[in-house]
Amino acid sequence: MATSQQDRVCIGAIAGVRGLKGEVRIKSFTADPDDVAAYGPVSTDNGNKSYRINVTAHAKGLVIARLDGIADRTAAEALKGTKLYVPKDVLPAPEDGEYYHADLVGLTAKTEDGEHLGTVKAIHNFGAGDIIEIDAGDDDMMIPFTANTIPVVDIENDRIVVKPLPVVEASGEADEG
Amino acid sequence: MPRSIWKGPFVDGYLLKKAEAIRAAGRNDVIKTWSRRSTVLPQFVGLTFGVYNGHKFIPVLVTEDMIGHKLGEFSPTRMYYGHTSDKKARRD
Repeated sequence: MATSQQDRVCIGAIAGVRGLKGEVRIKSFTADPDDVAAYGPVSTDNGNKSYRINVTAHAKGLVIARLDGIADRTAAEALKGTKLYVPKDVLPAPEDGEYYHADLVGLTAKTEDGEHLGTVKAIHNFGAGDIIEIDAGDDDMMIPFTANTIPVVDIENDRIVVKPLPVVEASGEADEG
Repeated sequence: MPRSIWKGPFVDGYLLKKAEAIRAAGRNDVIKTWSRRSTVLPQFVGLTFGVYNGHKFIPVLVTEDMIGHKLGEFSPTRMYYGHTSDKKARRD
């Protein structure tokens, strides 16, 4: 199952149930919470079962939904904690210059000279543009995701080329305290 | 209570000096700083700061929308690693 797990993305998890008619509360991991139902049937962790999601309401940051084939509370409760996956290829193709986080995480980061830096650990956005976090052993590197600093993103060959910016220090210990 | 307008925005002097020097030289170095309290000024637009979050330096590429905010607002001190799901990153 390892290969198929890599070809899937987790888009949500069943956090609990609501009511007696089999509605479930889903914690959505998608950019827009309602998109948990936008990519067709979802499969469970082991891929054995598949459900179509119908969003019915929202409550306390969670999506309330009905799953096909789940008609009572007992059946819904059995699904509590289940993660929901969709195949990567059902996600719409990103626009030019856009990349899915799922495609970037795990890529090998190298310098322009071919020196190995590490692997992409996560993508962040704290309000000042996207940042790539590279797991470089002892010390993680944070690199802005721009064409200057990441000139090559080669998803097919599992690599990115990183051109770190020079760093200067601005410290004013005399001004402190 | 908000800061008095007559005082103007606060920015650490050494940071302003360094930013102006980098800007004048036309370089695009990352300016490593611990000064989370400094306000983003219009002359910082286009520069990249590495703002310390107590653990590491988070790169902050300054854009016009960020003017008036503090540098520390863009360098959270707690990191959350969520699911990648359908989230996208844009390379500008």
